[in-house]
Amino acid sequence: MATDEKRQEILDKLRNAVIQYDEDTAKEGAQEALDNGLEGNDAIFNGLVSGMEEVGRLFESQEYFVPELLMCADALYAGLDILKPHVKKMDLGVRGSVVIGTVEGDVHDIGKNIVKMMFDVAGFTVYDLGRDVPLDKFVEEQIKTDSDLVCLSAMMTTTMVGMKKVIDNLKAKNPNIKIMIGGAPVSQDIADKWGADGYAKDANNALKDAINMISSLKKMKEEAESKGG
Amino acid sequence: MKKHKVIFQPSGRRGEVEDGKTLLEAAQALGVDIEGLCGSKKVCGKCKVRIEEGYFEKDNIESGMYHLSLITEAEKKHIKPDDGPGIRLACTAEVHGDVKVFVPERSRAGKQVVRKAAKELYIALDPAVKKYNIELVPPTLHDMTTGDNERILKCLEDNYGLKNLTIDYFVLKELQDVLRKGEWTATVTVWMDSDIIKVEPGFVETCYGLAVDIGTTTCVGYLTDLITGKVVNTESMMNPQVPYGEDVMSRITYAMTNPAGLETMQKAIIDGLNEIIERAVSEIIKDGPNPGFSIDDLTIVFNTAMHHIFLGFDPVYIGRSPFIPAVQNSMNVKARDIGLKINPSAYIHVLPIEAGFVGADNVGVLIAEEQYNQDEMVLVIDIGTNGELLLGNRNKVCSTSCATGPAFEGAQIKFGMRAAPGAIEVVQIDPDTREPRYKVIGKADWHSHLEKINAKGICGSGIIEVVAEMFKAGIIDKSGKFVMDLNTPRVRKGADGKPEYVLAWAEETSIGTDITVTQGDVRALQLAKGALYAGAKLMMKRLDVSAIDRVVLAGAFGSHISREASLTLGMFPDCPIDKVYAVGNAAGDGARMALLNKDKRIEADYRARWVEFIEIATDPAFEKEFMQAMHIPHMKDKFPNLKELLSKSGCKVEIKG
Repeated sequence: MATDEKRQEILDKLRNAVIQYDEDTAKEGAQEALDNGLEGNDAIFNGLVSGMEEVGRLFESQEYFVPELLMCADALYAGLDILKPHVKKMDLGVRGSVVIGTVEGDVHDIGKNIVKMMFDVAGFTVYDLGRDVPLDKFVEEQIKTDSDLVCLSAMMTTTMVGMKKVIDNLKAKNPNIKIMIGGAPVSQDIADKWGADGYAKDANNALKDAINMISSLKKMKEEAESKGG
Repeated sequence: MKKHKVIFQPSGRRGEVEDGKTLLEAAQALGVDIEGLCGSKKVCGKCKVRIEEGYFEKDNIESGMYHLSLITEAEKKHIKPDDGPGIRLACTAEVHGDVKVFVPERSRAGKQVVRKAAKELYIALDPAVKKYNIELVPPTLHDMTTGDNERILKCLEDNYGLKNLTIDYFVLKELQDVLRKGEWTATVTVWMDSDIIKVEPGFVETCYGLAVDIGTTTCVGYLTDLITGKVVNTESMMNPQVPYGEDVMSRITYAMTNPAGLETMQKAIIDGLNEIIERAVSEIIKDGPNPGFSIDDLTIVFNTAMHHIFLGFDPVYIGRSPFIPAVQNSMNVKARDIGLKINPSAYIHVLPIEAGFVGADNVGVLIAEEQYNQDEMVLVIDIGTNGELLLGNRNKVCSTSCATGPAFEGAQIKFGMRAAPGAIEVVQIDPDTREPRYKVIGKADWHSHLEKINAKGICGSGIIEVVAEMFKAGIIDKSGKFVMDLNTPRVRKGADGKPEYVLAWAEETSIGTDITVTQGDVRALQLAKGALYAGAKLMMKRLDVSAIDRVVLAGAFGSHISREASLTLGMFPDCPIDKVYAVGNAAGDGARMALLNKDKRIEADYRARWVEFIEIATDPAFEKEFMQAMHIPHMKDKFPNLKELLSKSGCKVEIKG
């Protein structure tokens, strides 16, 4: 086992690699983590994800922009690819599963992919329907997978209006389902008006929301761990 | 105090105003100039504005007359039935709820600057309509078996070799009187050597046509003398559909979500075009049933959405993937069927559409620039509310459409405005002191601190310049991020805690606040230019070329964009600066060419199908290209030409060469 000092050093390395979008260092750090016997979960959440949280803050304050964000994501994935095979089944105490997709008629999916990545990292089971997804498909998939959260994305005003129909259908089938919407033309007002539970202002807030969820998941995990022992 | 949302169109200015303020006060606070000669004494009636009714998805605003104070007797005196519905006096109507207000052209104090002036075209004159003078032998009892129409047809065949002509029913109805009024001499107007669209008494020497370009934001008509080929008058206006949505997508949404929305917008543009026609012909003879009767031919270009709305086709299917238009081929429609007030028997020639979002306006650009006749690899960028790209040479030309968003037009920019007096359009920043100097539209000189310059905002070409200058002066780095420790009060954190650069201090402006360029503005521009660059790169890949020989900047303000600034920002791949050209409104040039030479129409039909359309949003490489292209000038690509240009000017910023 690594010493606390060594552990911290590796976690910092992973964290900084993500912030400085340095894929090679992320890979290196991940390998070091394994070589020094760090838990996969530990390296992911306290290293890579912690870095991504800082990236989210930098994005929020407009110091980072989409290119930096995507490069950070690449670094995160580079580390994740190495660590994931060594992660024990994550027992987070909550069952997190999410259906995500860009609505019918819309082929833009960069924003959606960023949000998806965050859920991925957080250990959610993600059912990515891709882009230009027929409206009924969201409802079908939610029922089929019994997911807790449905995320809808649209880049165009013309396709955004399709979201309302999906929200209505989902809520009619299952009033407890949580729905988050996002994309360039969407606003908090529209989310409220159409009865969505969450609104991701753009890639910016989508990330923030995703990070909030990860943070609360981490908290739950920690609590569960401390109780367990 | 309760506040309400107020949006002014067509300027797009918006903000919150306190309950009880008049619309004129709201306009002044938001930097919108409304005519007010009497000083709000309710006597001049110059400040008429229209209140839009209904819910506007894009703006998320529920607007209506019931959000204003009740109409007063003083207002009723000024408002005539001719003004149409929803009219109020801005000086009198008080705001008590959210409203969207349209300021008609005549009520605007600062008139829009026309940026679509006609340039000289070099093209053989062979219009689709031609006038033929005929002299008939007056009929007698000896030739009773030939009708008036048949006499004309025979004369045209004998003298001009025109065979198998048809005649428009409306022309036929007037024919008897016309021939006798002219004592059997007449002038026959024939369209495409096939259809008689007018017969006038006596010998008429003049023939007019109108070339029209309907942009999402601006519409323009070029009245052309078809005998000389010269433009005799250019008239333009804001697209009257702007109140229903500033961009194409929100207008399509308006048609989808409002009953009769399509009809409303179609009527708005037809009425607008009729106004252009009326103004255009004001200097020429108006002998006929309507003002524009002397116009016998009309060619028109527009993007696909404007095309559909103009022709009354449902635009819903072009607003969503896979973006299929109702019709791609060119069309010839009788003017009377559309309701245009020119010769009702004349044809409107609608140029063809390339694919989906690449519309007739791009075909206009294509036939004006003729890349297909050149050896050089030419990139044409048509910058408007949407960005359209053409790349290629005689072997092959590709086209694509990029969602640039409205940043290039000054929208979604904190102090962005359209090109109108008071807009900052030229900027220089001293790289050492970081002090700017600038020019505003309407004043030829650089601003000085001796006079109050009354700047109101920054127009699209100004935004491009200022961001390029900020990069050159080291105020932002290549990632677009502000450099904060520059020891100048002009670089600061704004009220929201985010970085901004002060371009004009409050005392230099007419809006009473500092005009700034925010981090968010820089980001919006990065997205827009990144989309263009990525589009160009993906087309280069498709054509397997590594460099571009020439770049042509087209579009309403294409001729106003600084070539250096656009190269510095990396709106397109590196290219020698003397190989970057600004050609102005190439789409309009194409419409004019199709008006002047009918073979251009055949060329347009052929080339519209010949060009290969590329969908870039779904290209797997798009995300990466887009991401890298957001940096200034680019994350990875080399810019040897830019490097040389900047080092010559003493700029210290490092560029990959």
